[in-house]
Amino acid sequence: MIETALPGADVKMLDEGGGDHLRAVVTAPQFEGLKRLDQHRLVRNALRERFDDGSIHALSIKTSVPG
Amino acid sequence: MVDPMADTELKQKVEGLISEHPVLLFMKGVPDQPMCGFSMRTVAVLDQLGVEYGAIDVLPALQPLREVTAEISDWQTFPQLYVNGELVGGCDIIEEMFASGELAQLLGVEQPEAAEAADESRIVPGGPQQSPPMQLE
Repeated sequence: MIETALPGADVKMLDEGGGDHLRAVVTAPQFEGLKRLDQHRLVRNALRERFDDGSIHALSIKTSVPG
Repeated sequence: MVDPMADTELKQKVEGLISEHPVLLFMKGVPDQPMCGFSMRTVAVLDQLGVEYGAIDVLPALQPLREVTAEISDWQTFPQLYVNGELVGGCDIIEEMFASGELAQLLGVEQPEAAEAADESRIVPGGPQQSPPMQLE
């Protein structure tokens, strides 16, 4: 889902417990020039459906720009 | 389905709090007794920086506050740290900015030595001061 929203992104999803506490490590060219907060918003919004349907309860995010 | 419009009165209250407090943390539980690991880690960072902050326990009105902060800041998970009226981030961002020294800079305090993302064992009892927890109602 993240890759669809952010083409070219490198995404690693790690399970931090129970399958619904996830950690997303995302490197994406789209993050260039964005504040961390906005980078996180992009990732979170890409996964919004999963939040809304309850399949993700908690998500921690680590973002970076490639290169 | 919940009411899609955030509660106007609550929203005004929250906006008022954000503008009145230079450093304001919305968290689950209170600083002395966080009810969520992410809130606890954020409190630990603020305590290590020795910064004075206001803290709001969101648990009594979790869903309405989610709706309100979604409207104000496009962010609906807690904790949320506001500095000078602006959302800085949740636990991940706060820890990252703490580790890099950006948070100390933003708050105008000195970066403590050996600063690193806190784990639970680093929380020192009787640490720096903070304002008492505030109630929304």
